[in-house]
Amino acid sequence: MSKYEITIGIECHVQLSTKTKLFSEVDNDARGKEPNSCVSPVDYALPGMLPRLNGEAIKFAIRAGKAMNCEINKHSRFDRKHYFYPDSPKGYQITQFYHPIIGAGYIELPDGTKVRIEHAHLEGDAGKLSHFGNYSLVDLNRVDTPLIEIVSMPDIHSAKQAHDYCKELWRAMVYAEVTNGDLYNGNMRFDVNISLAKEGAKELGTRAEIKNLNSFRSVEHAVEYEYERQAKILDKGEKVVQETRGWSDATGKTTPQRSKEEAQDYRYMPEPDLPPINLSQEFIDKEAAKLPTTPKAYREKFSGTIASDTLEILLDYKPLMEKLEEITNLFSGDIRDNGSELSKEPRNDGSDAAAREKTIGKISNWFASVLLAEEKSAEYLNDLPSAKQLANLAEMTEKKELSSTGAKEVFLRLFDPQMKIKEAKEIAKELNLLQENNLDALEKIVDEILADPATKKAQEDFKAGQEKVIGFLVGQVMKASKGKANPSVAQEILRQKLKN
Amino acid sequence: MDTTDKQIEHLAKLSDFSLSEKDSKSLGKDLESIINYISQLDELDTKDVEPTYQVFEMENVWRDDEIIPQEASREDLLALTKEQEDNQIKIPKVL
Repeated sequence: MSKYEITIGIECHVQLSTKTKLFSEVDNDARGKEPNSCVSPVDYALPGMLPRLNGEAIKFAIRAGKAMNCEINKHSRFDRKHYFYPDSPKGYQITQFYHPIIGAGYIELPDGTKVRIEHAHLEGDAGKLSHFGNYSLVDLNRVDTPLIEIVSMPDIHSAKQAHDYCKELWRAMVYAEVTNGDLYNGNMRFDVNISLAKEGAKELGTRAEIKNLNSFRSVEHAVEYEYERQAKILDKGEKVVQETRGWSDATGKTTPQRSKEEAQDYRYMPEPDLPPINLSQEFIDKEAAKLPTTPKAYREKFSGTIASDTLEILLDYKPLMEKLEEITNLFSGDIRDNGSELSKEPRNDGSDAAAREKTIGKISNWFASVLLAEEKSAEYLNDLPSAKQLANLAEMTEKKELSSTGAKEVFLRLFDPQMKIKEAKEIAKELNLLQENNLDALEKIVDEILADPATKKAQEDFKAGQEKVIGFLVGQVMKASKGKANPSVAQEILRQKLKN
Repeated sequence: MDTTDKQIEHLAKLSDFSLSEKDSKSLGKDLESIINYISQLDELDTKDVEPTYQVFEMENVWRDDEIIPQEASREDLLALTKEQEDNQIKIPKVL
């Protein structure tokens, strides 16, 4: 069987989270609202209605473009793309066919691969149809929700890369704060073009387009399926048909879709109702400066401190990265709280950096393995503990004032509405989790245990070389200290005493 | 069927119109004469002329991103449709 190289290009529709729609002054957020309750005569395309362009959508597009390292075109304009279907009462979609607002750029994948962006343009979304027995129902709430359609170059060559590209694009848009990024509700939809060619062939094969995928996993699985399907056709010496296909998560298969039109003939023409957009460099620069820290910048910043698999998990949660950034800032610059444990001793830059790395390391692990494992983690993400609370908890753990189990317990309590107003130390005290590190006090307990005739045999066994008996003795110390002794310190003292 | 007839049929299909042969013929005639009339423009050399997208010299006509209550209510708008069900517009099955 011959080997094929797969080539993939992806078009992605992103719903922008502006307050109003692209061309009318009605609510753009129809989540949980009644059908046809967020509509205007413009959305119904009543005769004589004029679209009025939402200036905020232009600003969002600039930020989105900058998040993908794209050129922003100073001159752009709108066109009509005609098609007849009940999801669009106008009979056409207002889009930017000839002069899009966002030019060429790229998205960098976690593995360093650059996927070039051909361009991206602003357009209005279509309405929603629900199909029943012998009729369909139309909800126009989604009509003219602003979209940007992002068109990639065919730079993707595996199912995994297709998955990673979609996810990185999603992160870029969410971090740029241009979309709610709720995939389940269709805030981002992917159309994936897939073709196969013999390895080393100069020309691309015939492509199939898989439309309307709404999860990274569907994208990955659809690509895997298409590879197998097209490879089988090519193996037989037959030709792949250029067509649009749909994906079913349930069957794990793509199937040919009947096209909306007999032949695609959109009869594009300039939109006469919307004057062109001519942006000054100052305007573009001002909006570009508002772009928040990108996922790529966070990745670069934390890649030395946080293990890459943990970092890739955390990067899916913007609030967590922002919190880690905030914690980092506790260690450098002027953000020092007088009452904080962290600021009590003056540190030089070297030890500050080391302490910062340890703190970020601990907290990132708690985020990934404790917080995200919680059932209510989504809720918790909206209201994280303060940077100081978290940094103090990390410092207590570092000083062994808390066991790792104790630290996790206190960490979770920091999300408890009743507890979260308190500092980590207070919570640890209340929960009786503080470890006994006081050497004199510990030594006293150890002496008591060793003086207890009940431990006499264990002591003799240990001295005779039975290493594991130490566990029993540490256990006795822990019991006597009501669990507050630091077990590793207790063990050290025990060994010291038993040597003599 | 000549070219014009085919084009009329194609356009009618794209717009989901059903046209009688008679209508198609007369429409074809009308369109043909319109196109012939406009074709006079082909005589001009427009190589270095920028296409005209609009006749008003306007640019950057934007509005603020503020929700404005609509005068036409949801009920008013739904009442304009031929048929409705559960506050949605009811149409013949399309899929």
